Amino acid sequence: MSTLDAGTGSDENGGSAGRREWERSVLDPRDAVRLGVLGLLGRRGRALLTAIGIAIGIAALVAIVGISASSRANVLAVLDRLGTNYLTVTPGQALAGGPAELPADARRRLAHLDAVQAVATTGQLDVTLRRSDQLPRTITRGTVVLAADPGLLTTLHGTVAAGHWLDATPGSYPTVVLGATAARRQGVDLALGPQMVWLGDQWFAAVGVLAPMPLAPELDNAAMIGVGVAADRFGYQGSPSTIYLRADPSNIDAVRVVAAATADPRHPAQVQVTRPADALAARAATNTAFTTLLLGLGGVALLVGGVGIANVMVISVLERRGEIGVRRALGATRRHIRAQFLVEALVQAGAGGVAGVAAGGCLTVGYAVAMDWPVRLPLLGLGGGILAALVVGALAGIYPAARAARLAPAEAVRAG
Amino acid sequence: MCALDGVTLTVRRGEWVAIVGPSGSGKSSLLNLMGALDVPTSGTVRIDGYDVAGRDDDELSALRGHTLGFVFQSFHLLSRLSAVDNVAAALLYRGIGAARRRERAAEALRRVGLGTRLRHRPAQLSGGECQRVAIARAIVGEPALVLADEPTGNLDSRTGAEIMSLFAALHADGVTLVLITHDDAVARAAERRIVLRDGRVTSPPDASPKPGR
Repeated sequence: MSTLDAGTGSDENGGSAGRREWERSVLDPRDAVRLGVLGLLGRRGRALLTAIGIAIGIAALVAIVGISASSRANVLAVLDRLGTNYLTVTPGQALAGGPAELPADARRRLAHLDAVQAVATTGQLDVTLRRSDQLPRTITRGTVVLAADPGLLTTLHGTVAAGHWLDATPGSYPTVVLGATAARRQGVDLALGPQMVWLGDQWFAAVGVLAPMPLAPELDNAAMIGVGVAADRFGYQGSPSTIYLRADPSNIDAVRVVAAATADPRHPAQVQVTRPADALAARAATNTAFTTLLLGLGGVALLVGGVGIANVMVISVLERRGEIGVRRALGATRRHIRAQFLVEALVQAGAGGVAGVAAGGCLTVGYAVAMDWPVRLPLLGLGGGILAALVVGALAGIYPAARAARLAPAEAVRAG
Repeated sequence: MCALDGVTLTVRRGEWVAIVGPSGSGKSSLLNLMGALDVPTSGTVRIDGYDVAGRDDDELSALRGHTLGFVFQSFHLLSRLSAVDNVAAALLYRGIGAARRRERAAEALRRVGLGTRLRHRPAQLSGGECQRVAIARAIVGEPALVLADEPTGNLDSRTGAEIMSLFAALHADGVTLVLITHDDAVARAAERRIVLRDGRVTSPPDASPKPGR
C-alpha cells in the first residue's frame, strides 16, 4: 500500500482527489507523416531495399496491364485501318449431308446489292503446288491453290510485298501469286530473280508475293492463279469456295442479313456468312486469360514485398524500444506509436509503388514502341498500382505497429 | 512480489527531493509510479493533485506529456535528430506547431547552457552535453514535476557535478525536482532525502516542510 502525491500545490496537502479533464495528447497528421519519413531517412539502405521489393511487384502489375492494353489497342488500330466492313461468304453444310456449293452467279447477285462496294471470289482447285517437279506429290507444304478474281486484292485492300498482282499479266499466261506464308514455306523469294513453281503438273511463273492479310489469313497460305487460266487448264467451273465482299460500314449489318439469301436464293441455309473482324476481336479478347495469370504472378511478387516490409519492421520495432519508451514518456499514446510505424510502412510501400509505377510505365512504353504498337497506359492501372502498394504497406505495417504500441512504457524506457 | 510497500510520500510544488537507495530497493518502481509509466496494484498515486487510478492509456499518456518531464541515466536522445529537434519532440504530442516547438526548444537549450549547440546531433555532443539536452527536453514543457533517474550515472564526477549544479539552478528557478539515485553523495545536493530499502522508506520523510514558498 503506497500513497504518492507528487507536485501538489503546497497548501493543499493532497486534499484534491477530483478528476479533471486532462488535456489530450495529440499528433498532427503532418507531424505523423514527418515522423514516418524521418524514421525511414535514418535507415535509408534498409528502407530502399524493402521499397524495391514492392516496386518490383507493382512494376510487374503495371507493365502487364499496360502491355496488354497496348496490344489490344494495336489490334483495334489494325482493325480500324483494315476496316470492319468485310464479310466472308462460304458454303456451309448441304441439307442432304456433304459439303454445299455456292452457285457460280452468287458473285454477280451480291454485287447488285446497293450497300456492297466490292465483291471478289476465290475458288479452290483440286491441284497441288510443289517447289519443283522432282519433289514427291505429297510435299505441298500446306499450300492451297485458288482461282482468284482480279478484283480480290483491291476488295480486301491487300498489298503486294514483291512483284505484282495477277491483273498485270494477260489472263491466259501461267502465272501465280503466292500468299506471304506460302512464299516463305515454298522458299520463293522474288528478290533472287524470276522463280518457277510446279503447279498442277505444269510450270507456273511466280510473279508476285502478297503481304500478310490479317482479315483473310487463309490467303496467306494460298497460291492464286487467274480465273481464265484455271478454267483453261484445270477446268474451273466458276463455283466459288469463298466470296469476299466489302460493304458500306453503316449498312454492314443489313448486308449481313441478306447475304446468304442473295448468294444462294434456293438454299440460303447452306450459306455461311462471317465477319473476319469479329474473329480478330475475339482473339484480342482471349489474351485477357493469359493476362489474368500474369497479374496473379505480379500479385504474388507484391505480396512477397509486403512480407519483406513486415519482417524488417518487426526488427525495427525491437531495435527502437528505447525510442518508443521515450515517446511514450513524452506523451505519445499507443495510437500515436501505432500511427508512426504505420506511416513508416506506408511511406516505404508508397515510395515503392511510385517507383514501380514509373518502372512499369517505362517497360510498357519501351515494349510498345519496340513492337510498333500504340502506347496505352491505363490511368486505372497507374493509380491502382499506387493504391495496391499502399494497401500492402498498410497490411504489412499492422502487425509491427501493433507490437510497438503494445510495449509497456516502463519496460520500453528501460531498454535502449 | 511486492516492489513497494507502505510508501507514503508527498512532493510539494517547488521542492527538490532525492530518493536514494541501493539497487533493488524499489527506486525504479517508485519512479514508474510517479512518472505514470505504471499504475499501482493498490494504493493511491496523485500527480499534480489528480489520481491516476482508473485512467486509460490516453489519459496517462496525456498526463505524462503535459505534467511530467523525464531525465534518464542513458539520456535516451533520438540519435538522428539534432539537439533542438530532440527537445522539440517533447512538445510534439501537445499539438504545438513545428515552428513554435523549435522556438521553445531553442529557449530551453539556452536555459541549460547549450545555446550554441542547437544543430548538433547527440553523436557530436559530449555525455554532459547530451544530458543537458535531455534536461532541456524535460523542462521545455514546463511540467509540474521533473523526474531524474540516475542523471549522473553515466557521467564522470566532474561532469556529474556540473549537471547537479544545473539542477540546483533549475530548482532555484522554481522547478519541482525528484532525483532518483543510488549515490548518497549525489542525493545530498537535494533539500530533502528519502531513503528506500526493500520497498520501504527507512528514514522518515522530512517532517518539516521548508517555509517561504
